[in-house]
Amino acid sequence: MFLPLIAVPLLLAGSALAVFTDEAWNVDYHYALLGHPKQSTSFFHQPNPSSRASLIFTLSEEGVLGAINPRDGAVVWRQVLLPGASAHNASFLRAGEGQDVVISGIGSQVAAWSAGDGRQAWSLDVNGPVEDVEILELVDGKDASGAKDAVALSGGDHPLVQRLDGATGAVKWQHQLGGTDAPYQVSASTTEVFAISLHKTILGYLKLKVTSLDPVTGHKTDEHMLSSENELATAETIVTVGANSASPIIAWTDSAHSVLKVNIMGTKGISSFEIEKHDGQAVERVELHAPYHLNSLSHFLVHYQTATSHWAEVFHVDLKNGKVGKAYSLPKLSGRGAFSTSTSDANVYFTRVTRNEVMTVSSASHGILGRWSVDGFNVAAGEGEEIEPIHAVSDVSVRGDTVSAVRSAVLLSTGDWVLLRDGSPVWDRPEMLASTVSATFASPAEMETLVQQLEAEAHSNPIQAYIHRVSRHLHDLQRLPSFILSLPQKIVQGFLGTSADGGIATDSFGFHQIIACATKDGRLVAVDAGNPDKVLWNQQVADLQPGQIWQPSVSSPRGGVIEISSKASAGVQYNASSGEQLASILPIDLAADQTAQEVKYTMHDGGLEATVDSSTTWHFMPTSGERIVSLVPRPVNDPVASIGKVLGDRRVLYKYLDPNLALLVTANDAARAATFYVLNTVSGAILYSNVHSGVDVSSPIASMLSENWFTYSFTAEALGDSPKGHQLVVGELFESLVANDRGLLSSTANYSSMQTGTEPFTLTKIYQIPEAVSKMAVTRTRQGITSRQLLAVLADSSAVVGIPYGVLDPRRPINRDPSKDEQAEGLVRYSPVIDFDPKWYLNHQREVVGVKDVITSPALLESTSLLFAYGLDIFGTRLSPSFSFDVLGKDFNKFQMLATVAALAVATFVVAPLVMRKQVNSRWQFM
Amino acid sequence: MFSLRALALALCVSLATAARLTVSIPASALLPNPATLPPSTHAVLVGPPGVRYDAPIRRDSTFLFPALPAASYLLTLHSRDYAFPPLRIDVSSAPAESPQQQPMHAWQTFRGNEWANKGPSYGAGHGELHVHVQASSPKDFYQSRGGFNLMGFVKSPMILMGIVSAAMIFGMPYVMENMDPETKAEFEEMQSKSPITGSGGAANQIQNFDLAGWMAGKTADTGASAGGGGKKK
Repeated sequence: MFLPLIAVPLLLAGSALAVFTDEAWNVDYHYALLGHPKQSTSFFHQPNPSSRASLIFTLSEEGVLGAINPRDGAVVWRQVLLPGASAHNASFLRAGEGQDVVISGIGSQVAAWSAGDGRQAWSLDVNGPVEDVEILELVDGKDASGAKDAVALSGGDHPLVQRLDGATGAVKWQHQLGGTDAPYQVSASTTEVFAISLHKTILGYLKLKVTSLDPVTGHKTDEHMLSSENELATAETIVTVGANSASPIIAWTDSAHSVLKVNIMGTKGISSFEIEKHDGQAVERVELHAPYHLNSLSHFLVHYQTATSHWAEVFHVDLKNGKVGKAYSLPKLSGRGAFSTSTSDANVYFTRVTRNEVMTVSSASHGILGRWSVDGFNVAAGEGEEIEPIHAVSDVSVRGDTVSAVRSAVLLSTGDWVLLRDGSPVWDRPEMLASTVSATFASPAEMETLVQQLEAEAHSNPIQAYIHRVSRHLHDLQRLPSFILSLPQKIVQGFLGTSADGGIATDSFGFHQIIACATKDGRLVAVDAGNPDKVLWNQQVADLQPGQIWQPSVSSPRGGVIEISSKASAGVQYNASSGEQLASILPIDLAADQTAQEVKYTMHDGGLEATVDSSTTWHFMPTSGERIVSLVPRPVNDPVASIGKVLGDRRVLYKYLDPNLALLVTANDAARAATFYVLNTVSGAILYSNVHSGVDVSSPIASMLSENWFTYSFTAEALGDSPKGHQLVVGELFESLVANDRGLLSSTANYSSMQTGTEPFTLTKIYQIPEAVSKMAVTRTRQGITSRQLLAVLADSSAVVGIPYGVLDPRRPINRDPSKDEQAEGLVRYSPVIDFDPKWYLNHQREVVGVKDVITSPALLESTSLLFAYGLDIFGTRLSPSFSFDVLGKDFNKFQMLATVAALAVATFVVAPLVMRKQVNSRWQFM
Repeated sequence: MFSLRALALALCVSLATAARLTVSIPASALLPNPATLPPSTHAVLVGPPGVRYDAPIRRDSTFLFPALPAASYLLTLHSRDYAFPPLRIDVSSAPAESPQQQPMHAWQTFRGNEWANKGPSYGAGHGELHVHVQASSPKDFYQSRGGFNLMGFVKSPMILMGIVSAAMIFGMPYVMENMDPETKAEFEEMQSKSPITGSGGAANQIQNFDLAGWMAGKTADTGASAGGGGKKK
């Protein structure tokens, strides 16, 4: 009977590893994120010139280009242009009026993308960093295709202005900007192309050099220096170099923001405007908003921001005499504000978004055309935190003289990107999660209160405990009426199969865990894994200066508590459910194991050093030319249900289980070799090591260690007869390879890694895999009874696959079919290739882009493990590697069960009298 | 969408000695319209260690690698919806007399086999190569559950047996009624002799089993019925 019993879970495993049709899209959740949108690279644009439907395009700080549907906030398409980009990377995104492409510039690449479907139209590598990209709106009349050309400015050793063909990306002409001036921006009017570069004077100030080029030939027509006197100390106070308007302008301020200077490009005159002081507060930021179309009115708005308030002034450019004049100003309002420009035919509209209202004015006069109040942005924020708009892009519908509707995509100070339609939020995209650097699972605080109360009862004297318990039960009774009232509804829902998961407090399966994510800009964001549609709370926990980088690590030291620590500070703890900061004085945990000693590791001179009680116990120095790539220890919480593997003939192979194991990877760049060591982290003993040659050490080498097995993957070059491609190695450690024998450990009841030096017997297998694995993790369940799945992140497929251990098992027989006993164990014949079955893709049709790490956590149910992947996208799901054996899943048809019971009951009632009559008859007839 | 490494490498290699590779996805029976492929579809060329190119899908369902230095590459196409076979692309050094004419060759390759084991040729060229790669299979992510199927339910042997026995129970009385008296008598005679249903049959004995007597140690007439009684208890 035993053999079939072990065979059953293995057989079931085959079918259970796939994503079920009814669970896909329900159990899993995914935020397809772009990252923080930038003001200069976000706009509404019609991807199809013949239709009026527009999309929101953005090229984010994270280097992701994407199109968002303004109706529901869903991503229409996206492309990762520069993986690992940050806010420092200059990036540009332009769309020509009536064009079906958007043109991006980032890194050293200028590329055009089909606006409707995100496919590449062309791309060009400009030899040097892209400094600016503009679209030439002028029409030659020669070009029949209607594709507008682009002008790109590239830096580097030889700054270049290039005109690129709008249809093919071919270079039409290029102009070398000589000299040592730093190229800054490029701009175009109807008749000229201007290249602006920064000239450093002897005193260290900057001067703006404007070079005019003929758009047809690329020849220089004029060059002049703007007398910016000594105002420009850094390029940061240049407010704008407006592009593509009827009269492109350059505006700058001095470093104290006391005067605004404006120059109409192509002229030498400079208009100067005093910046008024309001309440004696210094202006922190000056921004200029101008329309981006050649045929729109040449009006622009200047936005001034102080620490507590903001206001704006609108200027008109007189094209005839080249004068800039102030038209009107928008009143000062407290808090931050965001302005955006929209055009309708030649008219220009400015939309102002503040924390209380959205209003639209025409550029011609200060009359308010539309005004809507904002009753909150409907996003989670910290306690007492004022949510402020950072920047916005707007789309205005004009009917007659009034603005009938306005849609604004607003980036908020919380990191959410929301769309306000007439002042009311329609959708929000939690873009702050795109820069998650560390995350952890924590159980909700509500679940912990009962545990604490039970502990309190256990630790007090019996009478007090009894009173405590009775009062607790009385307190619980208060919930009885509402429970009874909700009962019928629950039953009905249960039968119809529509029962939604309860809230956090009523979660009996442990699916509602809280995931806390620390983001790059110093926020801590919490999401409920059981109800991921909404961010639970989101607050600023670190006050970072712009450009400052922190390396937080988030952990959950005990249930209901999230601890965040970084290099600079000790851990700060937060309530997992509410985000409330806990008292900084922590209760001393008496239950902590006093006998346990910590071993600490530090990287020291390129080697690894372990210390116990501040004395060094061992060193690990890689051989010369090698560097340490990664060290993966066995997870702290890694329960193992069985110390042995039961073979088909009921004998046992004993696993080598040691809590102090770690997998260390070193790489030799010169020899193109990677070495993998399994270390005992207490004694420093090397238990296993292997070296692979021909390894691409610049591509990711993922590794993972759990229970008594380890795995790693790398990309290998063809050497001799070896295959080229990506390889996955699995090793399993046993106490001995003889069944029913524990080797040297058999006689000892306890052992210490310090004293006995038992070495494991290791079985390994190498498999060829179709693509590179960038990160590995393993499923975790409460008791470790459920079989494990290796979780591998495939960066190229934008996927996370769950590979069942049975496929990887190093005991798969080579060159022969498995024997009967091996078959009973579920072993199949070794084949060198593992093709990732699409059914293993946990993300199924979702594309999970840019995953940096995967974390797992056990649910309360033994069968289930929770998974959370972060990086750019956020993806999470529930996994049952050995089938959901302890819970009735969606496959359980309650109606069918009831119908069967009813049918049997009817049958019993119908048949019982018949049988009775028959028996009676048979006795009377045959006696 | 070149990686930085690839960019650095592309810069090192002057354009004059670079080969141009175009990979296109033709329409096939499996994939009648390649324009339906998602924009995330991309092609990856893995060369010697440190060399890697990544090209996104273009409007005409092609992937373009404009400047490849001489090396042996593994080409993999990644798409959400379809799987594609891996290819081996070899770019050799150009002969001295014609630096633009680098010999290029494409073959199918097989995972898990030595790199020298090449499959059918996908084309060859000088300085420029255009390769067509057809989708090999659609990706099916979902496992459908074995739902309730009435025919399958009825076909199962247990249910068939149940139906037959139900037919016997309900049908027999009518058959008996309609028999002519002689056959009926014969049948009854036969039934009374049968070991199961007859008066001395097992079924009757089980029903008439004297449990108290048996427990008191009374020796049963037949051992078989005693065993049956034990089971019934």
